[in-house]
Amino acid sequence: MHSMEGEMLKGHLDMIVLAPLSAGPAHGYAVIQEIRRRSGQAFDLPEGTVYPALHRLEQAGWLTSRWVTAESGRRRRVYALTRHGDRALTERRAVWQQFSDAIGSLLAGTRPRGRPA
Amino acid sequence: MISDYLEALAAALSFDRTLSQRVRQEVEDHLRQAVDADPVGGGLEAQQRAIANFGEPHAIAVQFAVVSLAQQTKRVGAAIILLIAGVFVAMKARVAWYAIMRCAISDDIKIVSGIIGSIDRYSFWVSVIIGIVGWVYVSGYRIVAGSGAAYRKQLRRFFLLCAAATGSLVISVVSDGVLTTLRLPGAGLSAEFLVPIFSMAIEIACAAVLVLQIRGITQRATATAALLKT
Repeated sequence: MHSMEGEMLKGHLDMIVLAPLSAGPAHGYAVIQEIRRRSGQAFDLPEGTVYPALHRLEQAGWLTSRWVTAESGRRRRVYALTRHGDRALTERRAVWQQFSDAIGSLLAGTRPRGRPA
Repeated sequence: MISDYLEALAAALSFDRTLSQRVRQEVEDHLRQAVDADPVGGGLEAQQRAIANFGEPHAIAVQFAVVSLAQQTKRVGAAIILLIAGVFVAMKARVAWYAIMRCAISDDIKIVSGIIGSIDRYSFWVSVIIGIVGWVYVSGYRIVAGSGAAYRKQLRRFFLLCAAATGSLVISVVSDGVLTTLRLPGAGLSAEFLVPIFSMAIEIACAAVLVLQIRGITQRATATAALLKT
């Protein structure tokens, strides 16, 4: 699969970062690995951009975080979705689905089934 | 090599020690995990790869700085409201104390205190209105991911509102100070005037904290702008 364009990814960064956390709390490295795994390695964004996004989403009240001590003895910041963040992810997922359906239909030369986003 | 990278990242965020330390620890954990997971092993090449995948430290620092500035801006927005409320409580406590003590203004200074009292009232309510507008404005917008022109425009508007609210509040506090001083000479420094003096101290402290907050956010914005330029 081709690597996605950087600008395209930036526009959906919140959803990309929130989605792996819907499975449960995780630290930054695990979030990045999960993004890679779920996207089939298609999302090749610089790893460092995920951390400012995590901080920003935490400030927005969509995530909470706490320090834990890893087996290696290093301190590790673990992030978890808040109820507010979970709701935001659900909304974004629905909007994306509508948009994706509409684009899919458009490219296939047919009319979209639902109202486009 | 990882240490050098972390030093560079922490140095770029040195204007906020807490943020700098948190980012350093978090990024160090990430890079060490990436090195441990590298199929080749934990050598210099693995470190180079981990750093290359993470991104250029300056670019990462800019993103953190923008997020941090947005957070501090919201804090200042809330602080304006709290500090203006503090001044209001102190002001009302003093007025209530004057009423309890039946402390009337002498006829000689009635006209002057009337004028100063009007300046005090209007400037205080102007600071309240502008402060609320600033707080609503800064609370209303979501922190944008980048550092675009729209965000800079929002920040400029907020700084203007902050400066106007602070300026009005300072005028109000100075007017209160003058009014309190005008009442003092007749009675001397008796226990009766401990409450007015204490309430004035609270007002001055609130105004000073507000000025320091504005100064802090201005310095932060300057540091962020400098990071964006380099």
